[in-house]
Amino acid sequence: MPHSSFNPYETAQKQFDNIADKLDLDAPTRNLLRDSMREFNFAIPVKMDDGSTKIFRGFRVQHNDARGPFNGGIRFHPQETIDTVRAQAMWMTWKCAVVDLPLGGGKGGVICDPHDLTTGEQERLCRGWVRQISKNIGPLSDIPAPDVMTNAQHMLWMLDEYETIQGNKYPGFITGKPVGMGGSLGRKEATGYGVVFTLREALKELGIRCEDTTASFQGFGNVAQYAIDLYHQLGGKTVCVSCWDQNDQVAYSYTRKDGIDLAELQGITSRFGCIDRAKATELGYQLQPGDAWIEQPVDILVPSALENQVNADTVQSIKPSVKILAEGANGPTSPQADKFLKKMGVFVIPDFIANAGGVICSYFEQVQCNINYFWERDEVLGKLDQKMTSAFIAVSELAKKKKLSTRDAAYVIAISRVAQACKDRSWI
Amino acid sequence: MKLAEFQRRFYTDDMYPLRIGSGAIGGKATGLVDITEAIEADATINTDSEVTISIPRMVVIATDLFDDFMEQNRLYDAALSKIPDDRIAEEFQNASLPVRLVGDLRSIAREVNMPLAVRSSSMLEDALKHPFAGVYATKMIPNNQPNEDQRFQKLVQAIKLVYASTFFEGARRYAQAIGKNSSDEKMAVIIQEVVGTRHNDRFYPDISGVARSHNYYPFGHAQPADGVVNLALGLGKAIVDGEPTWSYCPAYPMSPPPFNGISDLLKCTQNNFWAVNMSSISEYHPTQENEFLAQGLLSDAEYDNTLHRIASTYNAPSDRIEMGIGANGPRVINFAPALGLNESPLNTIIRNVLAVCEKSNGENVEIEFAITFSKSRGFDGRFGLLQVRPTASVQSEIEIDAWTSESPDSVVFSTRVMGHGVHRVIEDIVFVRPDTFEPKNSLIAAQEIGRINSHLQKEERPYLLIGYGRWGTTDPWRGIPVVWDQISGAKAIVEAEMEEARSDFSQGSHFFHNMTSFDVSYFHVPSGQGFKLDMEWIERQQVISEHKYTKHVRVDSPLTVKVDGRNGRGVVHHD
Repeated sequence: MPHSSFNPYETAQKQFDNIADKLDLDAPTRNLLRDSMREFNFAIPVKMDDGSTKIFRGFRVQHNDARGPFNGGIRFHPQETIDTVRAQAMWMTWKCAVVDLPLGGGKGGVICDPHDLTTGEQERLCRGWVRQISKNIGPLSDIPAPDVMTNAQHMLWMLDEYETIQGNKYPGFITGKPVGMGGSLGRKEATGYGVVFTLREALKELGIRCEDTTASFQGFGNVAQYAIDLYHQLGGKTVCVSCWDQNDQVAYSYTRKDGIDLAELQGITSRFGCIDRAKATELGYQLQPGDAWIEQPVDILVPSALENQVNADTVQSIKPSVKILAEGANGPTSPQADKFLKKMGVFVIPDFIANAGGVICSYFEQVQCNINYFWERDEVLGKLDQKMTSAFIAVSELAKKKKLSTRDAAYVIAISRVAQACKDRSWI
Repeated sequence: MKLAEFQRRFYTDDMYPLRIGSGAIGGKATGLVDITEAIEADATINTDSEVTISIPRMVVIATDLFDDFMEQNRLYDAALSKIPDDRIAEEFQNASLPVRLVGDLRSIAREVNMPLAVRSSSMLEDALKHPFAGVYATKMIPNNQPNEDQRFQKLVQAIKLVYASTFFEGARRYAQAIGKNSSDEKMAVIIQEVVGTRHNDRFYPDISGVARSHNYYPFGHAQPADGVVNLALGLGKAIVDGEPTWSYCPAYPMSPPPFNGISDLLKCTQNNFWAVNMSSISEYHPTQENEFLAQGLLSDAEYDNTLHRIASTYNAPSDRIEMGIGANGPRVINFAPALGLNESPLNTIIRNVLAVCEKSNGENVEIEFAITFSKSRGFDGRFGLLQVRPTASVQSEIEIDAWTSESPDSVVFSTRVMGHGVHRVIEDIVFVRPDTFEPKNSLIAAQEIGRINSHLQKEERPYLLIGYGRWGTTDPWRGIPVVWDQISGAKAIVEAEMEEARSDFSQGSHFFHNMTSFDVSYFHVPSGQGFKLDMEWIERQQVISEHKYTKHVRVDSPLTVKVDGRNGRGVVHHD
């Protein structure tokens, strides 16, 4: 799925420069915020099951911690690059700031494909990653979390390794842990539900009833599945989902004009979000190429897979019926595509608000771990909804007031807050 | 009228109800929504006073969210498994509310910090046009904790309790009695501001009331169509639970209800009242309806300065009740200043609101309301209409022809009956034996009945009680001198006439308040044409226990007790 010529870090920096101009930021502030504060690039030797040793490349990028400890996921992906991690770390800073969390932005990654690793190899890789970086992360300085192709089990191995090294219990070291082992209720639903909280508010703003809308989703992982769940609860109809097929090493779109049955599709989907192609066809889903999700004549598009999926090439395929693009993934829209969407009059819910549910819930998990008292699911999701809705309204009102795009408005709020925190600390 | 969608603002510019969700809103909410416009539009309702009449602000959680809650948490198995109420409540507390609801609730917790009532609004109630008063839980929460998280938690717990009460034993039985199952029920929930004022750690209205446009227990000169009003100091729980309150006919506001003298009046009027407990210290009982309720004494109310418009004083030397609280002496909550003084608009407002609700519904209605007065000593304040329920549909079911008395199936027939409605819950008959009873033994008969009553109450078996002469008389020669506790399980009472104990129709006056509160039918059956008491059929039933002057028998299938309150005609018949 990744677009080979695309460099997400350049995109992230361009977006920053654009807002820095709008805010008329001074040079030191620009220089500080345009790059990461710290970057770690390290080798992780892992004993493989066949007795050999394989060296994996790991990263941790700490973009800015003026507003609080660094916080961000760890991605396992074969096409991971330091620039991808840098971009994601910067976006985390803005995401935490726009939803007003007392956290900074960071991101980690390992170049690997967990599908090719046994459970034991994955455990040793997780522990190896922590051993390499444990001196530079921790519950008071940098808190990792799950991300692309990492899950609760990976987090628990990492926590265990960290606590073993430190010789004490630090449940707040990492988030996204299993419930009952320091995890928060509502965490697994948080990102997907969060996308739909903001979608709901956008629909209200446009005066459209959710039950009158149709949507197409790119991706069928955790985020998309929970987003579809809540979107259906609100009365919406999903007509297309796409996903990566591990066997065929290609993406497919599955469409059904009268709406997909979420439970039915979940029943034939692997834990990595891969829909069984043969069974889906048997069930009457129309099989289409991976990019077909964006060509659907729907009201709402939700890219919730990888970055740069809505780019100069694919944006041309978007139908005039589309009114909202809710960015469930990080950085799914290129700056060129953004301009095109603006011309089309599509209401964009920018990624770092739309998918902030995960990081907000990570923050809740950390708070619960630090006080060792865990909340009811109602409380977690109620707080999540309120926080996301407040952030959306703030962005939307600023956009209207200053005649900005929603993305620019969100950046203005986020970057202003981080810049102010740096100033308050007299860093600049 | 269409409800506006809740936009996370409880305090909107207008007072119209708001909704969360897209399903049905249930009977209680529908009643209030339908009446909102009528109340606002009717200029005649309140022209002369400074009392504002309105529906308190409310948000209705529609039944689709109840469906989601039940299904997402897979609660139907536990709910319909007939486990004890507290276990059901516990299961529901452990479940999660639907994600599309919690954000809205959170916004209420953030914005509102005054007491809230969380009430049920049943869909069966709406579908059947059948009042489900007191069947499901209502929970009052003080909602005054400084921490928003705590306010949210208490609100969530209250909603889950109301949902759970759909499946409590009492609700299941009630549903069964009207030929339905709890699984047919869907529950909407009303979150409504509590009308009242804070006095120290108590929050309560100056007056709560229930008014009916048709009175099935008329007394004195009152006619059924004159209606009836029950008033209480504090929260309406006192009225709903059948505690001593003040009952009067709006056509004769100064006529007291039938008390047996002043000592009876002192005993049968309010001595305490209910309030929302605003104290920071309260017991933790999320599965209890009254977790945040507190009972105050009249001395507390006097300290709160809430008695002067509603109380009188007993003057012992003259053995008289004097209006107001100017003199020292025991206070009597008879609402005399509010009902008797010319400047008080209370009765006029109640009559007007009742008339508007009756007109709007096109049938007889029952309303619940709460009134708070402003700090001044006058009668300006706020009248909050809390519920409007039609009652006519129940009437339409009840048609009792004169020839019913001739039917071989009828066991009891009379045209001097108080009460209203149809019950099919009685399988037990307790009666004074005509073969052995003599008035001189009435005291022993009363004791025997008390023992049988106690036994049946334990088993929760309502029964038909038949005796001779006046029930509850203090003169043992004129009837059976029971006190209410000795017959408290009776659902229908027959007062038959026998030669040795001929007496006037007592109108059940000795137990008037209990009968009206517990919806007990009262049959007066004199000997003579047009009345029937088939003791031969009763004597043929299965004997459960036999005593010297009384007997307890059981029938194979429930008896039908049918009373048409419009004309005082009633019948008890078997299948």
